[in-house]
Amino acid sequence: MAARRSPCICLSVVFLAMIAVVAVSQIIVEWRQGDSPQIAELFRQKPTRANLRRLESSLESGCRIGQTVRPWMQFARFVLLEDAGDNAILGRDGWFFYRPAVQYLIEPWSPEGGQTQGNVFDAIISFRDDLAKRGIQLLVMPAPNKASVYPEMLTGRTRKETGSVNASTREILVRLKQEGVEILDLFEVYDRAKRVAGSPACYLAQDSHWSPEGMRLAAEAVANRLLDLGWIEKRATKYETRSAPVERHGDVLRMMRVPQVERLFEPQGMDCTQVVDAETGQLYADDPNSPVLVLGDSFLRIFERDEPGSGGFVAHLASNLGFGLSSIVSDGGASTLVRQQLARKPALLKDKRVVVWEFVERDLRFGTEGWQRVPLPAPDGSG
Amino acid sequence: MAFSSHIFLFYFLPVLLALYHVLPARWLAARNVLLLVAGYVFYAWIDPRLTLLLFGLTVVNYVLSRLIAGSSTRRVQSLMTAGAIALDLAVLGIFKYTAFLGDSLNSLLRFAGRDTLPILRIVLPVGISFYTFKVISYIVDVYRGRSPAARSLLDFACYVSFFPQLLSGPIQRFGTIDAKGEIVPTFADQLRTRWWTPNTFSHGVALFMLGFAKKILLADGVAQVADAVFTAASPGTLDAWFGALAYSFQLYFDFSAYSEMAIGLGLMFGFECARNFDAPYRAEGFGDFWRRWHISLSGWLRDYLYIPLGGNRAGTGRTYLNLMIVFLLCGLWHGAGWTFIVWGAWHGAWLVIERLFGRKPFYAFLPSPVRVLVTFLLITVGWVIFRTPDLAEAGRMLAIMFVPQSAQGGSALLSAVIYTRGHLIVMALCAVLVFQPLQGCDWTGRFHWAKVPVLVVLFALALMTMFAQSFRSFLYFQF
Repeated sequence: MAARRSPCICLSVVFLAMIAVVAVSQIIVEWRQGDSPQIAELFRQKPTRANLRRLESSLESGCRIGQTVRPWMQFARFVLLEDAGDNAILGRDGWFFYRPAVQYLIEPWSPEGGQTQGNVFDAIISFRDDLAKRGIQLLVMPAPNKASVYPEMLTGRTRKETGSVNASTREILVRLKQEGVEILDLFEVYDRAKRVAGSPACYLAQDSHWSPEGMRLAAEAVANRLLDLGWIEKRATKYETRSAPVERHGDVLRMMRVPQVERLFEPQGMDCTQVVDAETGQLYADDPNSPVLVLGDSFLRIFERDEPGSGGFVAHLASNLGFGLSSIVSDGGASTLVRQQLARKPALLKDKRVVVWEFVERDLRFGTEGWQRVPLPAPDGSG
Repeated sequence: MAFSSHIFLFYFLPVLLALYHVLPARWLAARNVLLLVAGYVFYAWIDPRLTLLLFGLTVVNYVLSRLIAGSSTRRVQSLMTAGAIALDLAVLGIFKYTAFLGDSLNSLLRFAGRDTLPILRIVLPVGISFYTFKVISYIVDVYRGRSPAARSLLDFACYVSFFPQLLSGPIQRFGTIDAKGEIVPTFADQLRTRWWTPNTFSHGVALFMLGFAKKILLADGVAQVADAVFTAASPGTLDAWFGALAYSFQLYFDFSAYSEMAIGLGLMFGFECARNFDAPYRAEGFGDFWRRWHISLSGWLRDYLYIPLGGNRAGTGRTYLNLMIVFLLCGLWHGAGWTFIVWGAWHGAWLVIERLFGRKPFYAFLPSPVRVLVTFLLITVGWVIFRTPDLAEAGRMLAIMFVPQSAQGGSALLSAVIYTRGHLIVMALCAVLVFQPLQGCDWTGRFHWAKVPVLVVLFALALMTMFAQSFRSFLYFQF
């Protein structure tokens, strides 16, 4: 009996130690830092459902042992199981994909399905009409999900597929075109670029965003479209580009928040080019008085406000058009937030003739704050 | 509070264990009070307002049970029993089925070209299906004279709110036991007398650790596959089968893990409870399956529904009808939706067919492993109906499974999400484990040194995985 009792006691002691050590160590660490224990919040606030969820969430996220263990465990899972975590999917040849963007392509979705706040058609058409009342034209440019352009880098199975991986998006674009919305179809632009043998990839391997090449193609296509439509004329400001190579890990890789995994991959090299004023030699800077306003999300931020700076879409579009542009950038908020910012500062529309509106494809479903109608104040200020 | 949550594992459980075992064993009433308070704190953590419902149901059923036991007239007893059951079912109906009935009625009205009615949508209190069944079994047992009425409100409240079983069972009875299940003392007896030894405590610890590891390492792993496939627009046939198998594994490992953790927690406080699963996917037919799956529910349905309906005593036709009624209601108990009812009908129909073939499946002539496989595949088909949000989706998914086709459009990308190295390993592990006969209750019951490191490593691995992945609730919370 005694022989059977020893393993029982041993197991119980180890179990109790394992479940007690987390809270005890947490309380000790918090005391040593001069903070009162987080769990004491339980007795300081009204025990409503919301408060309890908040406390539970902060206990989890603030857990020191959890913070220490998490990256190592994720590293082990990545190495042994190829599990890249909640936000990332490991593709082929070191390509990473942003999970919600892939989820957007896999799951059935309809803009009329009530899954998003507001309606994408209402939001875009009403915005186009509000701008038209001010004599401003709108060009809409959805930035494709990386997996829409390079599905074969996610799985070899798509090679055998005939159907488009993003039928929902294509249906939305067709319908918007039927409604008279001017769309720049980057899917076609990138499809053409892919067919050119040896051309650089339009997307970054470790990132959810376009590569410098993909960005330059987009800027060129938008400039050509605006000029072809006659909405704007090319002007005489001379810009030059200068090489500014950048090396860094991509955002999808960094979203894993596991330095050990990042160390497994070389930082991706990016053949960036900065735009400089040919006369002054100054780096490109926005011009608030420009006739063109560009709205968008992190696709506009990359290379422009991030490293190397003045080397992103806005600068290259300006270079193609021969004059400086205005821009409003809201990370992850191109569906609604960026228009709300504009509605709060309608003066930004003064003397504008064209608005270029970029948003990433997945935001058709997952855009922050959905696709709300955001009426612009009336041109005469009465509204 | 879920057993696999941070707050439960690292705060609630250690504090409760410490407080409970600091109280001297002879202060049983004080320990029961502590468990009662713990049960209400545990339940209030989800939403403090829900405790009012739990308390109300407890008090009303306690009072009615005392009146039933105290009444000398059978007619009065019958009336009060019927009233208590009607009240319990009304509460369950209002919270669980109002929206479903409203939606179904509106579908009919739309079909008839009439205006639809506004529908009251009420949040489903977690665990309500389980604790209403517990109180109904108690009321019926008191009425039948098989169980004395609870001696005190404390005893009864402690039974209803016993936190290990509160949210997802097992549906342990108060003063009786399932005659066809494992023999353990009744809950009422255990409230008055229970022996705590290091061995029972460590058995509970071992069961809890094993259940936790099953939940985090297996159930949550295959859940990602099932979720991805069942939400995909046009998966291929292979994907659909892979997802359906993943869901079969997920249901078993998730729910059996919860049951093992619940039984293990009970043991840590000196309470025994019969096992709730017994290798269900080794069943050789549907009758066999229901003797192995969610045993406390199938025992409840047999004793409190099937037998009162007449069971198999009223002729062949009536037996078949009773079986269908029981399983349609079993489906409805699992969820307020037509898919659950059809799932219940699927099981009921197969049980009727087995009766037609002399209580054997029609494929009884096949070798045993093939019978197991056929039963498992038929049950998996049932789970597809169970998992899908509506019948149209269930039909679509089953069509994909049985009419070979490749993934279409964006669903071709599914393969990158589901056929990862990690998922393939977990699916293979699940496939091996579900068909082996040894159950957690047995494995942890015969304890020796070699099992200590196995359990510690599994538990540690599960804890570390829990830190590295987002929280996933237990499946049966939604029922």
